[in-house]
Amino acid sequence: MSESVLETEKLDKVYKLGGRQVRALSDVNLQVKKGDFISIMGPSGSGKTTLLNMLGCLDKPTYGKVILDGVNITKVPEKGLFKIRKYKVGFVFQTFNLMPYLNAIENVELPMEGMKKSGDEKRKRSRELLKMVGLSEREEHRPHRLSAGEQQRVAIARALANNPAIVLADEPTGNLDSKTGYEIIRLLSKLNIDQGTTIVMVTHDSLIASRASRMLFLNDGKILAKEKQGTHLLKKELTCPNCGREIQPDNTFCPRCGKKL
Amino acid sequence: MAIMISIPAGIVANQEATQGLTENYNTMISNYQEQINKTTTLIEVSASSGQREFSSTPSGTPSGMPSGMPSGTPPSGFTREEVFTNETVGNEIRTIEGVKDIVPFLEKSSNETTSETMSTPRGSFTISRSLYTITGVCLNSSFIENYSILPTNITAESRNLREGDSGVVLMSSNLTDYYGVGVGDTVEIYGESFTIVGIYEPTSQGSTEAREVYMNISDAQTITGQVGNVSRFDVYAEDVSYVDDIAEVIKAAYSDLYVTTYEDRLATLENMQEMYTQSLNNAESTIAQTQATATQEIIIAVAATSLIVLFVMLYTVRERTREIGILKAIGFSNWNVMSQFMLEGILISIIAGVVGIVIGSIGAPVLSSLLLPQVNLFSGSSGRFQLGFGSVNPGTTGSTTTTVSLTPELILLTFGVAMLLGALGSLYPAWRASRTSPMEALRYE
Repeated sequence: MSESVLETEKLDKVYKLGGRQVRALSDVNLQVKKGDFISIMGPSGSGKTTLLNMLGCLDKPTYGKVILDGVNITKVPEKGLFKIRKYKVGFVFQTFNLMPYLNAIENVELPMEGMKKSGDEKRKRSRELLKMVGLSEREEHRPHRLSAGEQQRVAIARALANNPAIVLADEPTGNLDSKTGYEIIRLLSKLNIDQGTTIVMVTHDSLIASRASRMLFLNDGKILAKEKQGTHLLKKELTCPNCGREIQPDNTFCPRCGKKL
Repeated sequence: MAIMISIPAGIVANQEATQGLTENYNTMISNYQEQINKTTTLIEVSASSGQREFSSTPSGTPSGMPSGMPSGTPPSGFTREEVFTNETVGNEIRTIEGVKDIVPFLEKSSNETTSETMSTPRGSFTISRSLYTITGVCLNSSFIENYSILPTNITAESRNLREGDSGVVLMSSNLTDYYGVGVGDTVEIYGESFTIVGIYEPTSQGSTEAREVYMNISDAQTITGQVGNVSRFDVYAEDVSYVDDIAEVIKAAYSDLYVTTYEDRLATLENMQEMYTQSLNNAESTIAQTQATATQEIIIAVAATSLIVLFVMLYTVRERTREIGILKAIGFSNWNVMSQFMLEGILISIIAGVVGIVIGSIGAPVLSSLLLPQVNLFSGSSGRFQLGFGSVNPGTTGSTTTTVSLTPELILLTFGVAMLLGALGSLYPAWRASRTSPMEALRYE
């Protein structure tokens, strides 16, 4: 399990803002292994989102390279980037970014648009994904009929649609209350444990960040040397600490003994 | 879209109308020319100034000068005054040097009348006209042989009138059809019974050909109470060189008679031709003008349509920047995004096209008459034509009705143009959408 999924080498990003040069990232070296659940913490303006955009092919670095799933994406021409975004990366946004006029299952199917799968196959896959995030009952609902937490679950299901090498989550709990945010983080943890999904999450909430397996700190565009081990929900933690029954990541209390989790 | 449909429809209708009219007039003029040329030695001496039914009197030639009829009133042929002169005048004319033959005619309207509604460019009106015209012909075999005084296209199983006929008639087929009678049947004219011996097809020169009855002149004189009277003489000169002198003498001696020679008729024809050419030129320049205007209007409509699509799509793209960002972030290619927006633009145009076709097919006649005020090209000039042609039926010549019709081709064309304009108008917005940076689009609120 030491296979590297994502690597950055001396990543630099310089913006020009009104004639002034702003160095958003400087010399970022990062290694993400398969099955990692990494959180990147840092205050506002520290370059978290910039880094994430770079990792997800939404932006190009000024200098340095990003190797994603064995491909140096900084060398990929603009026209080919959409394929990497489509097949190798799954995005989860702070504001969910669902299509308002599509229902839950259609939103999940959207990344599979244009693929050589039949409609039935796509539908089947989307159903599986929605079931995985615990929304089987809400397939036909449009985003405005869903709660914020449910919307984020749909977004996570959408991110997983094409079995990406990595899921990039940009403040996935930023628009959620702490309880719902916690549920989402449990869902991500479960996906990480059960499916082996590699996750890179950016947040400025230390509590949320601490649920990852690795915590990195970003300040003024630099990754700090200190790195913490997160209190990742390990597999054993997905059982009720009171009675030992296996519990779902979205359970707020144990279905058997009723202990609040 | 409605504008785009109705303008070409209007133009096509106008062109077809002019073409139809031109053909009509050309045939008519050449017919007259032919008839005039055949009768160079004929001097017409008529008791009335009115026009005769040119199209159906076989010996007929355009005669008389146009009367000063105000436009809008029915053509003179329907309301002419019937004046007669004594047939002894003929004997006197015969003594003039160079006169070869004199053929007397008695023309009298039937006492039966019929009401007809006529539509002219100046509105429709109902007129009461006599059902048919009785022409009494001098049935002298040498006249019949030498001069075309009787109709020629006699139907099969019937015969023409001949010398010595009395109590029998030759009828135009439209009259026998009207009565529902045939050869051998008896009809009553002015209270007297006549047997039909012949039926002829009137030369078609309009939708309402004159109905005619031909009979022996003495029969006609008796039944109409005009014994000893005639309505006109056809005076034939020995040679063309005598014509002018004979005409002069008749004019001098009988001031109440109307004398028309070959040259008069030719002059009238030339007059008519001139007026016609002028009108045609007017019409053509009007068409050219309307076409230029229409072209401008079409260009404006096309430009406006594409601009509207352009702006609507630009607005849509702006409005949905974030959406574009999301689509790109989850792996939509530039081409996917572009085709998405192109499709949308084309779809909007198709819907607009359908709506336009519906509005257009309802509103095209109204719109084109508003936008192209001179659709009825000959409406202004037809009145003059009627003067020139006397009783020529206005229904067939003056106003070929300009109906603005929407052909399937035109609708298809409009549909195609709508799609094309939709594609054209959304090309730039779609391209812009496709080039949107996903990162920036996602930040867009």
